[in-house]
Amino acid sequence: MSYTLKAWKDFKNYQTTRYRNYAYASEGLRCMGSTWSVLAPLKGLGDDVYILGGEPHAASTAGTFPEEAREDISAAEIAGLGFHSCSYLKLFVGEVIRDKMGITDGTIKEGYPRPDLIWTTHLCNLHSKWYQEVSRRLGGVPLYPIDMIGGGDAEKDPKIVKYVCDQMEEGIDWLQRVTGREFSDESFIKAARNEIKVLVLWGNICALNMRAPAPLDERRLIALFPPAMVDRTTDEAVRLYEALFDEVKNMVATGQSVVPYQRFRIVYFGLAHTYGHPEIARILRDAGAEIVASVYTFGTAGNFRGFVNGKWSWEPIDPAWVDELDLSSRREALSALAKIVLGWPTWQGVRSYWALEQMARAMVAEFNADGLLLAPTRTCETDFRNGYIAMQRIFKNEIPTVEYDTETVDVRKMDIPGSKRKTELFVHLMEAHKKRGR
Amino acid sequence: MTKKGSDAIIERFRSITENTHEYAKSLQGKGRLLAGYMCTHVPEEILYAAGITPVRILSAHESQAMTRSYIHETYCSFSHDCAYQGLQKNYDYLDLIVHSSSCIHMAEAFNVWVRFAGFQHKSFLITYPHIIHTKHASGIMVESYGEFKRFIEEFVKKPITDEDIERAIKVYNHTRRLLKRLWEYLRHDHSPITGSEVAAVTLAAQVMEKQECNQLLELLIERLEAEPGKEPSGVRLMVTGGACDDLRIFDLIENLNYNTNLIFMDSCTAARYFWFEVPEDRPDKFEAIAEGYISRIPCPAKDNVPGTGEKKRFRFIRQFIEDYKPDGVVFLYQRFCSPQSMDIVALKPIIDMLGIPWTELELDTTVPITQFGTQLEALVEIIKRVAP
Repeated sequence: MSYTLKAWKDFKNYQTTRYRNYAYASEGLRCMGSTWSVLAPLKGLGDDVYILGGEPHAASTAGTFPEEAREDISAAEIAGLGFHSCSYLKLFVGEVIRDKMGITDGTIKEGYPRPDLIWTTHLCNLHSKWYQEVSRRLGGVPLYPIDMIGGGDAEKDPKIVKYVCDQMEEGIDWLQRVTGREFSDESFIKAARNEIKVLVLWGNICALNMRAPAPLDERRLIALFPPAMVDRTTDEAVRLYEALFDEVKNMVATGQSVVPYQRFRIVYFGLAHTYGHPEIARILRDAGAEIVASVYTFGTAGNFRGFVNGKWSWEPIDPAWVDELDLSSRREALSALAKIVLGWPTWQGVRSYWALEQMARAMVAEFNADGLLLAPTRTCETDFRNGYIAMQRIFKNEIPTVEYDTETVDVRKMDIPGSKRKTELFVHLMEAHKKRGR
Repeated sequence: MTKKGSDAIIERFRSITENTHEYAKSLQGKGRLLAGYMCTHVPEEILYAAGITPVRILSAHESQAMTRSYIHETYCSFSHDCAYQGLQKNYDYLDLIVHSSSCIHMAEAFNVWVRFAGFQHKSFLITYPHIIHTKHASGIMVESYGEFKRFIEEFVKKPITDEDIERAIKVYNHTRRLLKRLWEYLRHDHSPITGSEVAAVTLAAQVMEKQECNQLLELLIERLEAEPGKEPSGVRLMVTGGACDDLRIFDLIENLNYNTNLIFMDSCTAARYFWFEVPEDRPDKFEAIAEGYISRIPCPAKDNVPGTGEKKRFRFIRQFIEDYKPDGVVFLYQRFCSPQSMDIVALKPIIDMLGIPWTELELDTTVPITQFGTQLEALVEIIKRVAP
């Protein structure tokens, strides 16, 4: 029987509360930016800091209000944004243009809540350009982009770690200047430990999917990692993920799963298209094929052991390691944060084909996969299409592999019939492979 | 008929752009080592100091489908075409391929060369900032240059001295100054050289041995000084956008059914390649190179000033408009180049505010001459009605 997660409601509440706090804050600080950034420095400014993250907000808006999402994208294009640009970006800017903001509880706030500042990352070609446009449209919101030269073991390169730390240290001075607030190292360090803890806990939860049956499916994984994206710096976030970790460990111990029938185990490189297009998820589910490991849900806000002696591993990091981390000074905390963030799996492959290939190879082996599903996202500038095409060339003779274009948010760019046919083909390939005894 | 004066020299530059491989191989025949580079953030000076001639990888504008199974189709045609050159073994004679952390598209093209075109053991990727205006960009560039220098020293099996680097800096700065002098002609009416000719010379400079290039540029400028303006003044068009090594588009701009002059090209295959200098005679050569490269017209993918979010490139564009006085602006960029389109959306209101009409052309592998011609002529017609 399918297992029903107890933690589900708390996760949804956490996410919605964060958005409501941002949208309706009458005082305090509204901070916007990619939540694919180091967030803890913002919390050095106080507890009344409300964060709106571009990627999770765009994703959840598309999921909650598909019609509104289309209108947002359309508004952005009418305003001149490129047809081929990132659909998350366009949806987000579209809300600014339309002067309204959707919240995951199903409400729409009229009047776009202007941020006090933008704190963000520059990783792909568009990451910080996204917020340049938002800032421009809102009359010049102060913007601090942090250059993350991520990819290919960057967290172990002292010059890159130093570069990122130096920028963040400078950024803390900037935060104080633009807000007029004093920065509390104590609050920052506490938030930093929470941030790292959540990332490590999520890595542990994902790694439990190495077991058979995998306790969680892609649909749950997608819904359970947003709180770690929205705001992972709070005590509440740590408690949520500790509780989830305990629950999933218990599922493994008792052999339970949210989807017990798992004839095929799939490793997935893509951006949640089975969530955005349930008809494709249905093809897989009918065949007992489940995505048990995915670079997007695992690696966007999760950390693993990563490269050890030049070889990638999806084995988890012991959460106790976080408690022992020396975060006694601002610099120590920044350094720990820079290393953990630069170690995110989704960043490894951005500019390093060899890292992407190694991660896929390790995922296939460690999660005992029957197939590799490569689903580059048409409008994702970088992270979820970069290198995917070449991966098919490499893996097609090793494991059943298909590759087809997807698009989760901008439905115009999704070839549903073609994707369905390729998904069916993928199932047949896995079936044939299994019959041949792998 | 044998061409005389500046025409013969311009012809020489143009022929190098059309026969890059032949030209590069001739250098190799003279004993030069050759390093291909795909992005202008590569510090050519360090290669040159080691006795290596940097040769920019250019596209061939051939219709092909081969790279679609290596790079996603939503990467720009320039990156596809450059990747194709590698897969076709057209650059097999290169001793080395070098890249610096660039836009994602060109990074993918580089990956294809390294992974599938036989350059795995003769390649180097220079770690380079993705935001060029951070206060700490220079520091990481200096460290990366140090790593690059060590790699090159091992490759050529000899040390690179500060004197070698200083010499290279001076040679390259000389090229930049000469190119700037050439571009100066376009500021004025009745220029002795056309914009499309300047584009050809600038592109050739990116594959040429720099001493030879400088000699030829000096000779060209000397001849141009003695020649009267060759073109009647027409509608002045400025191009701003991304990489474009297809000279046919520049020829088209100057060969419409109206009298037009191409007077500026802001792109990494034109002004952005050389519109800066590296400070000379500094004790720390790498700091000097970093300072020089940071001062360039920024690539849109790297242009964001921490603290304000300013796009510094816009300052340059405003200055170019003030200096070169275009009647119209052509946004010319590679299809799928998202940083460009994000800049254009913010640039249009500025150009509108200045009262300058514009049009937008999206580049693909081949140039749709008729379609672009119609668009450009429509722009000229708008200008003619707008202009007093």
